[in-house]
Amino acid sequence: MSQQPKKGTWTKCPQCGAHVNQLEWGQYEQCPHCGYYLRLSAVKRIEIVCDANSFEPTVKIPTSKNGLNIPGYSEKLVASQQKSGLNEAILAGQAEINQIPVMIGVMDSHFMMGTLNTIVGKVIREMYLIAARKQLPLVLFIASGGARMQEGIFSLLQMNTVLAAKRKFDQTEQVAISVLTDPTMGGVSASFAFKNDIVVAEKNAQIGFAGQRVIKATSTQPLPKEFQKAEDLLSHGLVDGVLDRQDMKTYLGTILKLHQRSK
Amino acid sequence: MLKQQLQQIRNQDRISSQAVLSYLFTDFIELHGDRVLGDDGTLTGGIAFLEGLPVTVLAVNRRTITLSKEIVNGGMVTVSGYKKAHRLIQAAQRFDRPVISLIDMPGADASVYSEQHGQSQAIADVIADMGELTSPNIAIFLGEGHSGGALAFANSNRILMLEQALFSVASPEAVSAIVTGDDLNQYLPMTASALAEVGLVDDIIKEDQNVLQNIKSALLRQLTPLQKEAGSELIELRQHKFLKVLDLF
Ligand SMILES: [Zn+2]
Repeated sequence: MSQQPKKGTWTKCPQCGAHVNQLEWGQYEQCPHCGYYLRLSAVKRIEIVCDANSFEPTVKIPTSKNGLNIPGYSEKLVASQQKSGLNEAILAGQAEINQIPVMIGVMDSHFMMGTLNTIVGKVIREMYLIAARKQLPLVLFIASGGARMQEGIFSLLQMNTVLAAKRKFDQTEQVAISVLTDPTMGGVSASFAFKNDIVVAEKNAQIGFAGQRVIKATSTQPLPKEFQKAEDLLSHGLVDGVLDRQDMKTYLGTILKLHQRSK
Repeated sequence: MLKQQLQQIRNQDRISSQAVLSYLFTDFIELHGDRVLGDDGTLTGGIAFLEGLPVTVLAVNRRTITLSKEIVNGGMVTVSGYKKAHRLIQAAQRFDRPVISLIDMPGADASVYSEQHGQSQAIADVIADMGELTSPNIAIFLGEGHSGGALAFANSNRILMLEQALFSVASPEAVSAIVTGDDLNQYLPMTASALAEVGLVDDIIKEDQNVLQNIKSALLRQLTPLQKEAGSELIELRQHKFLKVLDLF
């Protein structure tokens, strides 16, 4: 399933600036010099957290329409589809983590920064409803810049309609887990991301509601060091934990095991 | 056109939440504080009678006629305001009181303080609270209301808007990053009439010299039929309202 990286591909580390060979980034796409994690594709994320070949994309992901005829949006959608190989900014379906069946959704920041639109919202609502019906725990990897402005108010209304679907899931005794990865912002952060039973963050992820540019513009003080970083949220008591990418699968497996119900 | 409308609704002389609050309700008792961080003056919360019916009121303050600039914070409700709302909505649920929100805010507070004290969590909590209410809730947009910050107070059975009010995914300034041109509303429905067309807005309130009376009539007209519904039905109706709008997209 995994593609062999090309030997001659070098990528500059966004954090330390080192030129790192594709092979050196390794399976977890981590900079060997400073530990920085590259943003993972949804496919790659599923590969490293789910049991081998266990993922079935059971939730259908339709392609989005440019319903409001926003100039340039149709082209952007096509370009994102080509770049990411996905129909939209999420993959969802059923998988196993340490042999425990789960409903899993993974957002992909490479598709229009993982923004929440009508399709992404619909997929997440379906995930909650299917998980409720099948009595499955749910794992959601968040990677999103917030609501997608090209779909206007219809994107905004995903925030409350997803939470309404989640209400049905909450009537089960299954656990829902959010993993906040880089970035988790805006309308996604202020909706389902923080409402699942367990909320953990990947090390170094940027997490918040308002963007830093907006905050800087209205503030007289410089932003604190590590502001809106996973570690800062942990020290302010806003997340259950901060994890290394390498430990994610074991952590999820344990949480799932702790919530297993004897039938 | 939108530019003029923005000037109009951002003008300090525009009708204030405080004026509407005193006109609509009697025996208003303000309930202060979120019990943890403080008391956000941008959000006035409390209980009162609406024509003899006890209701919970959540009013966003943006105008500085009766309140200081520091308190009003440009209408940007802070994390503490959402936490206060969370507390008051839970009490409304317990005492089966309708929740009436008055919205007049550019968006949520953009500050280090709100971020470090869990603004995302606080907004998400209020959205969920409003969605789960087994008493009716009604949102009235007096001026602007943008982003998840405004949606939290608008996740309700009915949405009423003054003729010139706006409700958008983000401020028109932020939206202009993706759509250039004068009339954003041509692309993105955000005015009262455009949002009524997609079924999101239930009543557009005329802004004439009787505006206060118009607000009251619209509120009573919308609230009365809801009072006959069972609690579980109110939740279903609320979800259905929003899903129906999405079906149109
Ligand atoms: Zn590095």
